[in-house]
Amino acid sequence: MIGRRTVLAFLLLGTAGCAPEQLELSVSFAPVYGSEPLACGAETDAGRLTDLRFYVSDVRLFDGERAVELQLVADDRWQAPYVALIDLEDGTGACQNGTPGTNDTLTGRVPAGDYRGISIVLGVPFEPNHADPLSAMPPLDDSAMHWHWRSGYKFLRAGFETDTRNHWLHLGSAGCEGRVQAITHCRFPNRVTVTLQDYVPGDTLAVDLATLFDAFAAAPDPTASCSSGPAEASCPEPFAMLGIDHASGSRDERQRLVRLAE
Amino acid sequence: MIRRLLLPATFIVAIGVVLALLAARDDGYDWKLPAAYPVPAVPSDNPMSDVKVAIGRRLFYDTRLSLNDSTACATCHVQSRAFTDGRPRSVGATGEVHPRGAMSLVNSAYASRLTWANTLLDKLEDQALTPIFGDNPVEMGMAGRDGDIVDLLSSDPFYAENLGKAFPRDEDPASVLNAVRAIAAFVRSIVSFDSPYDRYLRGDPDAISVSAQRGMDLFFSERLECFHCHGGFNFTDSSTHESATVDSVGYHNNGLYNIGGEGDYPSDNTGLYDMTGLASDMGRFKAPSLRNIAVTAPYMHDGTLATLDDVIDHYVRGGRAITDGPYAGDGRHNPYKSTFVRGFELSDVERGDLRAFLESLTDARALNDARWSNPW
Repeated sequence: MIGRRTVLAFLLLGTAGCAPEQLELSVSFAPVYGSEPLACGAETDAGRLTDLRFYVSDVRLFDGERAVELQLVADDRWQAPYVALIDLEDGTGACQNGTPGTNDTLTGRVPAGDYRGISIVLGVPFEPNHADPLSAMPPLDDSAMHWHWRSGYKFLRAGFETDTRNHWLHLGSAGCEGRVQAITHCRFPNRVTVTLQDYVPGDTLAVDLATLFDAFAAAPDPTASCSSGPAEASCPEPFAMLGIDHASGSRDERQRLVRLAE
Repeated sequence: MIRRLLLPATFIVAIGVVLALLAARDDGYDWKLPAAYPVPAVPSDNPMSDVKVAIGRRLFYDTRLSLNDSTACATCHVQSRAFTDGRPRSVGATGEVHPRGAMSLVNSAYASRLTWANTLLDKLEDQALTPIFGDNPVEMGMAGRDGDIVDLLSSDPFYAENLGKAFPRDEDPASVLNAVRAIAAFVRSIVSFDSPYDRYLRGDPDAISVSAQRGMDLFFSERLECFHCHGGFNFTDSSTHESATVDSVGYHNNGLYNIGGEGDYPSDNTGLYDMTGLASDMGRFKAPSLRNIAVTAPYMHDGTLATLDDVIDHYVRGGRAITDGPYAGDGRHNPYKSTFVRGFELSDVERGDLRAFLESLTDARALNDARWSNPW
């Protein structure tokens, strides 16, 4: 429903005679571990990427006065008008549970302007997040990104391993109430807001897995993982890297996973 | 029956209207239930039909629904064990051990909530997605392999031919959605009330022994309290049906653990607490149906009670004492324990009677009915 309404709004905007000039803008993401680039099948000094996929929504650009929404351009694979899937794994090497297709860029339109600063939500908006995944349109039709027993999508799947450790994080809403396809509320929404004040169009965003895996490495269990459960002992440290207080579910904008690439 | 069609067009229209009404009310499907037992609730977007159930049956037994062709739904849900697998904890297609044991599917059509501890899941259609696609743990391991399922549905002659009949309004019926609907319809069709106890209730005084009759009285007594959580027509307080007016659902901490005296359960199996993080939900699991309980050992969500006698011991004591190891603690004193699990005295004769009653809940038809057997 929300999808259809948003599509309609977008079409109207696009055809209105008085609409301001539109600028097409792409934002690219690159996986790194500290300063090293990451790719499936590539051995780095630190270890190996095993997974990195995430949903982005509510993208806004700052023009000095206002936050202007970037209207995502729908395609039939990676972008709906209100959410895009960024997939930085290609199913090769240690990413064997992944998929061949990749998408490192979101694309949208904003009124022409002088922008500096961006905010992006890692997550799926509430209504589509809890709708029937088998009836969903791309990019919400990917069963590897859905969490059927929790109801809702994995907003982020991230995994990294070394010869002695293997850690992964699945981020999504938890503590939800109601019934599947009739969820009323989630006590732990677990959406991450990425705000980068120095961003200018054309900048690439680095997704730095060292932040998450240094947090996991503090745990004694060499295979510690977090699937966003409110009671999971290995979640607080990686959640802190996402700017989420695991105990309360409250969030701030101090996430460290995504930063401007150097 | 009808030998002449004087007004064929009108007749066909009338038939169409009747069929549409039947489909809408879902009563074109014969559940083969004894009189006076309730009809299961059926989601309005997935009405029952024989052809849909037939597709679901083949899919339920089809190992091609797993990433390595090793595992079908039926791998962990074996008919002769009332659709459980006899393991303490089920094992997925890649060998990963699930934290919990497979639940019986007999009469799961009447479950108001599904699985051991999940308040969100109330439809078999939604539940089926977790074993097929879940990756933590991997059960059938099909996450991201939706295309393989569609290919299977399109290339297998039985599926390709019958999906169109089961879902005639779909332009492209070979979809994961329809596969899941068919599996859910098949599982929903596994309803049976033909145990000796049921026949006793229906007026055959000799259907269960005198001992089992005494056991029945014990089961429904305020001394033993069993029926508070395992009551009703399906022996669980989480039951519903087509005409239900109340959302009946119950989760209980029965004192199986009390790690360190703090009320804790093993961290991979904390019950509702895993979903909510609320301390009061620690160790709360759904009371499963006791139908066919004698053939579904081992018991409890993690299979840590091996026999029915172990289960009776557990409730006689009012909680399990674990004396050493990482899970040490006396479950009898679990601060979150249900007030109905208080312990009671039970003589040897009474124990035998109670066990005889529980054994009278075994429904031989459910365990043998050819409608639910492997069609391959």
